[in-house]
Amino acid sequence: MAGSSPAWTLRRLLALWRFYGAMDLKWMMRDARSLLLWTLSDVITAISAVASTLLLAARFNGIGRWSTPQITFMLGYALLVGMIPNIFFNYNVAYISRRIGRGQFDHVLVQPQPLWMILLTEGFSPFTTMLGLLPALALLAWPLGRGVHTVTIGWLAAFGLNVVASVAIALSFSLIVGSLAFWAPRAAEEINSSSWHLLESLKLFPLDGMGAGLTATLLTAVPAGFLAWYPSRALLGIDGAGYAILVTPLAAVVAVLLATWVFRRGLRQYGRTGSQRYLSFGHRR
Amino acid sequence: MHSVVADFGRWMVALSAVVLHRYWKTAAMAATSFTGDSLLFLVDYLLRLIRVAVLLSIWRIVLAGRGPVSGMTLATVLTYTLIAEVFAEQLTPRTRLEEALWEGTIATRLLQPMNVVGQFAAEMWGQWAVNLALFSLPLLLLCPAFGVSPRPAGWGAAALFAVSLLLAMSVGLALEFIFGALVVAMQESVWVVAQVRRAVTLLLSGAVLPLALLPWGLGNVFQWLPFASLASTPLKLYTGTGNPLVLLPLQLAWSVLLWPLAGWMWRRYRERLAGHGG
Repeated sequence: MAGSSPAWTLRRLLALWRFYGAMDLKWMMRDARSLLLWTLSDVITAISAVASTLLLAARFNGIGRWSTPQITFMLGYALLVGMIPNIFFNYNVAYISRRIGRGQFDHVLVQPQPLWMILLTEGFSPFTTMLGLLPALALLAWPLGRGVHTVTIGWLAAFGLNVVASVAIALSFSLIVGSLAFWAPRAAEEINSSSWHLLESLKLFPLDGMGAGLTATLLTAVPAGFLAWYPSRALLGIDGAGYAILVTPLAAVVAVLLATWVFRRGLRQYGRTGSQRYLSFGHRR
Repeated sequence: MHSVVADFGRWMVALSAVVLHRYWKTAAMAATSFTGDSLLFLVDYLLRLIRVAVLLSIWRIVLAGRGPVSGMTLATVLTYTLIAEVFAEQLTPRTRLEEALWEGTIATRLLQPMNVVGQFAAEMWGQWAVNLALFSLPLLLLCPAFGVSPRPAGWGAAALFAVSLLLAMSVGLALEFIFGALVVAMQESVWVVAQVRRAVTLLLSGAVLPLALLPWGLGNVFQWLPFASLASTPLKLYTGTGNPLVLLPLQLAWSVLLWPLAGWMWRRYRERLAGHGG
């Protein structure tokens, strides 16, 4: 059956990405003033987010065993991991609690596409978010230019793998937390705002020297440590262990499996209860 | 004559009770709506607690083995950080004005027989009450577990902090309405302005990083901005690391300057308000 072959699936994915990308481009061309303001806002926000840690490192010539260039690389990595969900999953997976809590998940379920395909494609906003990558790339380029680590093809591959893994961990955490909205739609509607904000703020610090309990918490229950600190440590060779480069990707596999399991359980609950948020005349409770 | 004065006094008390009753009820509704649905809001507190632990650990790592830096010892910085988290909402006051503008409910707010600023402030206080009881107080009790002294530099410092905190709330509320009016004036998305404001405030207010510890003397510049009156000033007074004779008048000046500006901007741009529902 053509509709289920891998070739059809790939063609469909590409078509949907092209479609959502084109919509994003049209929005960008239609309202240049809004685009400029949003882009400026994204850049200011990104710079401000890392400024505290960067200024701290500048004042004290590094943080703990991390030098200022190493901290800069870690912050660039953190920004990159924060920006990629904006480009590919703009306000869908990272904020799934809103969709579920507001009853808007029905809008996804009625579409003639598999759910995973919708979630993978509908948030694709390459044009309006791309400029937000500039601060991240600048922060990554500066320390690499100063020789904080030798850049080879193998290292770049490891870098790419770790970035994808960190993004997967961030989105999995959001999906797990956001799935609470299946059981408590009103109370958990905005829970992803808090959880995402927390991840964003906690990923900006090197965790070396913190207590074992706190480090373990930040690598498991609230995996902020995998969004910049641990992978940067591995990529810069601060952690001498050879396997360190694979730890984040392995953690990503576990996180994705766990998120899928929790989300499916939530969907089953949703299948039984449906959305409680709409009255018969359409208003949200 | 005596009875007229007494009657006037009784009448004023009754009037105050009626007027304040509205705001009290608004605050109570905000508090109960925050906690009424489920206990999931406690997860938020747990996440914040982790953040506090991380921030305290970072300072221990950064300042380990160092003497006082810019007049701040490790103990002072830890107290500063902890008190910043305990009074996080009061040091960067936020109302539901942005949501009301976004959802269009600002239209019905303007119809209510209450002062607009009072409505939003009452709601804010209602939510603060819950946060103070369920997060701030437990955090203070956990101080020994974190190895941090929550005590102010002295009784005088505590009194100055109380005054400064009130002024910080005043400056924060004025900024809230200035940024709200700015959203209306620009006819742009609420969240563009909100996002920039949040990011800039976090850095310039000194809520996370004490301004005195910024490099290249940046703190000396930032301390004159209104954002510093939000968190940096009260926390400096609490920890005894700032001069009240400079800081309090500056805070007062910002409050006196910003409220007329907020009022003017709100009056100037209210005709541009449009509610499209949420």
